[in-house]
Amino acid sequence: MYVNGVFIDDTFAEAFPMRAARIVVTAVNARWAREAALKLTGFATSVIACKCEAAIERELEPRETPDARPGMSVLLFAMDTEGLGKRLVERIGQTVLTCPTTSCFDGLPEAEKRLTPGRSLRIFGDGFQGSKVVGRDRFWRVPVMDGECLLQESFGVAKGIGGGNFIILGADARSTLAAAEASVAAIASIEGVILPFPGGIARSGSKVGSRRYKSLAASTNDAYCPTLRPLTASSLPDDVDSVLEIVLDGLDEASIRRAMRAGIVAACLPGIRAITAGNYGGKLGPHHFPLRSILDGHADARALA
Amino acid sequence: MSDRVTLTLRAPLDESIEADSIVPGAFASLGDAEIGALPVWAGRARRVLADYFDVRGGRSATVRIVGDVRRAHGIGTGMAAGDLVVDGDAGARLAAGMSGGRADVLGSTGDEAGMAMSGGSLRIRRDAGDRVGAGLAGASRGMTGGEIVIGGSVGAHAGARMRRGLLFVGGDAGELAARAIIAGTVIVIGRVGPVPAFANKRGSLVVAGGVEVPATYRHACDYEPPHVRLALTYLARRYELSLGAGLVEGRYRRYCGDAGTVGRGEILEWIRE
Repeated sequence: MYVNGVFIDDTFAEAFPMRAARIVVTAVNARWAREAALKLTGFATSVIACKCEAAIERELEPRETPDARPGMSVLLFAMDTEGLGKRLVERIGQTVLTCPTTSCFDGLPEAEKRLTPGRSLRIFGDGFQGSKVVGRDRFWRVPVMDGECLLQESFGVAKGIGGGNFIILGADARSTLAAAEASVAAIASIEGVILPFPGGIARSGSKVGSRRYKSLAASTNDAYCPTLRPLTASSLPDDVDSVLEIVLDGLDEASIRRAMRAGIVAACLPGIRAITAGNYGGKLGPHHFPLRSILDGHADARALA
Repeated sequence: MSDRVTLTLRAPLDESIEADSIVPGAFASLGDAEIGALPVWAGRARRVLADYFDVRGGRSATVRIVGDVRRAHGIGTGMAAGDLVVDGDAGARLAAGMSGGRADVLGSTGDEAGMAMSGGSLRIRRDAGDRVGAGLAGASRGMTGGEIVIGGSVGAHAGARMRRGLLFVGGDAGELAARAIIAGTVIVIGRVGPVPAFANKRGSLVVAGGVEVPATYRHACDYEPPHVRLALTYLARRYELSLGAGLVEGRYRRYCGDAGTVGRGEILEWIRE
């Protein structure tokens, strides 16, 4: 299959179950909401070393937020509910509570399973905290030096999916980066999905374990490193000198499917030779995203012939 | 089974009646004849609903009352589910002890509307009498949950001894508003009468139209309280209230008190700028 002349590999991305929370941060203006969200999602590229994966989902207009202020929606993923609860307390406590003018709300109000980071964080108020119930939800008023920080008590937990991916194989570094950037831009408008790596792009794709260092959980994906082409069992065609990966976490399969479709189509630009995906032969997780099935309807006519 | 039960008053009430049998949840399992046979008290005389109302429909928890029932008291007492609309004024103790569902009075109510309420939503488009959202006589707690939204003004002792919940008054409140509130929030867009939030423990009285703050409260600061913004935004969206941006986004003068109790409560006075 070809899309805009780019070969689409007959393979699939393999993803695994995670637990997810959606955090809505609001502030006096978009700048401070973004400042808090950037800190909240800092050092959260991969569960391998960061214990969670997080990124900004999208910017929210005042009409979309509970307190009618500018906001940011953040998705945070961890491997299990317990881990998610710990990360929420750590991260909201250190990044939203500390940031001027912010308030913090749950973005998954329909979720039945709940965690209560607000209840844990309220004790920062040292006994001066108070709570208010608005609608069906309880909010904690924690006194801080610029007034009060308002934290919702409970946050919904969703069964999310981590590790959706596709890999862009380009002729050179410049065109590959441009294609990856186009992918990220196309995915940015899709709800329920985040790209946890810097700028949404990962260059250090990994394989499980290490051929030399037994203590490593993951090491460089040598099969896709162009500088190692003659030294390893390379997976790269001769005309590929640069590779970048887009990793996606999402709230459900449909969101990831939509995002992969938009991202791959956008990446099929001049200078790109092929799109493939990472998998472990079906052993890593139950969620499989076959590239050609996802792109059904986008194939070039000549390839279909 | 029908979409709704409509009770239409046959003639203006020339006496007060106790109509606490009008409860939407109870109507869900009753046919029109059974509803018509429910008891109504006029003084010591036991009568039935059909003596006063034409009953149309049955087996529905959506109830509409048509006619001037300001002399019918106790309507919606203890309602836990369903929808009740009163197409005009209603009497005292409307939705007293309510724990769920939605009641909407298009006119005014008498005293003790939403008394001892623990959940659900009570809306009164015009005015309410004394002790709205307060407790039963002798009870240690007033309303313990739910929302009361009043478009007009209320009498004395609004929200007295409230433990939890939200009471919104679009007009003025009489004397001793939020008296002895334990927690919860009372918001008054107009003025409040003398001795507001007396013996307040941990509750919030938010006033936009003027308040004489008692000497037992101490000024803390002027700031933008995020919970007031949240509550006003919620009310404006849910009840389609027109609240000015100045109220939602504005600064409030925070007073801590009442010093005669634990003193963890507050009066928040809107600063007109």
